[in-house]
Amino acid sequence: MAEQVGGPAPQGEQRGTGARGAPSTWKRLLRYTLTRLVALFITVVIGVYLTILIANMGGYVDEIRRSQIREQIAVKFQNDPAFRALPPEERQKRIDAEVAVEEKRLGLDKPFLVRSFNYLKHALTLDLGRSENMTSDSGSRQVRLIILERLPATLVLFGTSQIVLFAIALYIALYLSRHYGSWLDRFFVALSPLSSAPGWFYGIFLILIFAAWLKWLPFGGMVSVPPPESPVRYALDVAYHMILPIMALTLSSIFISVYGWRTFFLIFSSEDYVEMARAKGVHPRAIERRYILRPTLPTIITSFALGVIGVWMGAPIFETIFNWPGLGRVLFHAVQLFDTPVIVGSNVIFAYLLALTVFLLDIIYAIVDPRVTVGGGRQS
Amino acid sequence: MSGQPSTSAQPVLKTEDLVLYFRTTKGVVQAVDHVDFELDEGRAVVVIGESGCGKTSFAKAVLRLLPRNVHTYTGRVYLDGQDIMALDDEDFRLHIRWAKMSLVPQAAMNALNPVLRVSDQVAEPLLIHEKDVSREEALERAREMFRFVGVPESFLSRYPFELSGGMRQRVAIAMALITRPRLIILDEPTSALDVLTQANIMNVLKKIKWETGTSYMLITHDVATSSELADDVAVMYAGQMVENADAESFFKEPLHPYARMLMAAVPKLRGDEDLEFIPGQPPSLLDPPTGCRFADRCPFRFDKCDQDPPMFLVDGRKVKCWLFEKDAQGVYGTQPAVATGD
Repeated sequence: MAEQVGGPAPQGEQRGTGARGAPSTWKRLLRYTLTRLVALFITVVIGVYLTILIANMGGYVDEIRRSQIREQIAVKFQNDPAFRALPPEERQKRIDAEVAVEEKRLGLDKPFLVRSFNYLKHALTLDLGRSENMTSDSGSRQVRLIILERLPATLVLFGTSQIVLFAIALYIALYLSRHYGSWLDRFFVALSPLSSAPGWFYGIFLILIFAAWLKWLPFGGMVSVPPPESPVRYALDVAYHMILPIMALTLSSIFISVYGWRTFFLIFSSEDYVEMARAKGVHPRAIERRYILRPTLPTIITSFALGVIGVWMGAPIFETIFNWPGLGRVLFHAVQLFDTPVIVGSNVIFAYLLALTVFLLDIIYAIVDPRVTVGGGRQS
Repeated sequence: MSGQPSTSAQPVLKTEDLVLYFRTTKGVVQAVDHVDFELDEGRAVVVIGESGCGKTSFAKAVLRLLPRNVHTYTGRVYLDGQDIMALDDEDFRLHIRWAKMSLVPQAAMNALNPVLRVSDQVAEPLLIHEKDVSREEALERAREMFRFVGVPESFLSRYPFELSGGMRQRVAIAMALITRPRLIILDEPTSALDVLTQANIMNVLKKIKWETGTSYMLITHDVATSSELADDVAVMYAGQMVENADAESFFKEPLHPYARMLMAAVPKLRGDEDLEFIPGQPPSLLDPPTGCRFADRCPFRFDKCDQDPPMFLVDGRKVKCWLFEKDAQGVYGTQPAVATGD
């Protein structure tokens, strides 16, 4: 259809802009995608750099580490009988030399500002360094491995739950907009304040009910111990462990989503073009799909994107409650152990995940709404 | 500007005792109140009246485009002699909507789906109502229609937001024409447009009328612009049809006092008489007066006006006013005949 673009100069009353032909869908998408990528990358850079500054307390962590090094070395020498025989000046000199070597090894001899940019470069290229205390599940101290080994678990849980939530909420919202004012509609509206509590809050109650009391479902974790041998059984076991977390996440966001989206549907179904479609004799199902759902989708995707971002932010506590071996729990541990490289690394990954989420949703947005032309610059 | 006089026996559109009431929080609004009306084939009728007099509701009642809050919807609507009120919703959708009756809506700005290409929207009715039409054929017909109403073909693959108001209105007209319906209802097709574009659209409508012979029902409060298109005129007041006549005699001399005052309020190019206005307000449709609804504002009011007048037939014209009881050759329609109680 795009070949129509740029036909003979139209007569009369068309607008001045866009007369040369609207950019084709693919060109528009490409330009939009690149613009979004650049913008998101800048966002990630700023976010990661702020994390580095905060995790290092603006450079004060370096002071703490310097005194830690000095103390460790002093204690080490103190236990050495040969060292104790030396005169005090000589002892001090030896300690200073040792401290200087250690600081140089850790890069502490350069000013913090320079090192912060080095950190930034390493962080963005996922060269995340070594952890201070934590080890990965396979025993490595590489921060990258610590995180990457946990990433699939997080993606499986949150990816599944968000897809489930989106599908269910969309279906119910459409149904309610068709049955506006019914008891079910009023039920969902009345329960929408439930969404003011985060997922882990419901998680606690669900664990109490379904794991502790009814003993139907596991308390937490991702697979049984020992894990099943066959891949099919393994997948089923993971699904079984995911029931409660998904229920908790769904419970905390479904009511507000349904309420909001059903209201969007109601607003959009009073548009003139919906009535026109009825007058045209379009089948009621097709009206719902092409004239209500399609035009509403951009609005819904925006609201969904905000929800997803909110869920990412709750991941550390949520995974800790459900003992889910994901990225969120790594971050939670790292904060407890004050393991700066892991904290920074987790944040980098979270920043990338967030950017990726926003990016994907932006692309979907641009596909469903032809009016989105970022960087077109020719709209008057 | 008179069309070919009708030769066919049955009118294209005929309504009998059509009633459409809405339920609101304040009570029942009698938007369309026992309307008897007919339109002959190939003619264009202009339905005029003040805002809120029930013009658009009348169109919606004919098209069965009802909101959620319908209170009463009764009467008969005949299209080519077929009683379409008797059809169920699915038959009505398949065989009447757009197949025989189409609509050019009030605000064409919002009448097009913003996320679908205009070509698809214009071609859509063909795909629904003509089973053996392929998508390519439908798009080709859409292209023809674009040419016909004066929209450049390069606009076919555009989205509505890329079109100006006048272009969108033309697209809406192209959409209404594509299935070659028997009757097109135009609900204030030019009211949101500037004067030049209005003139453009009116020319398109005239051209369609000459070339296709479709019947029109043009709803407007813009008497001046629509007069050049009209074969017949129907005047509505407070939910009722008060006068229905051919355009020539109506514009020469309207009969109903309301129609007279309405026409006196229309500015004319020549002549320096002062414009008049109609004192007072139309009655509330929530609880309208029992007699003639215009009585309170009427300078000719007399005793009989406390009763509801029937539609009197005066020289082939229909007027709902007691003043014409003596000259009348009869009474039209299904109005309660009790009114002649003398």
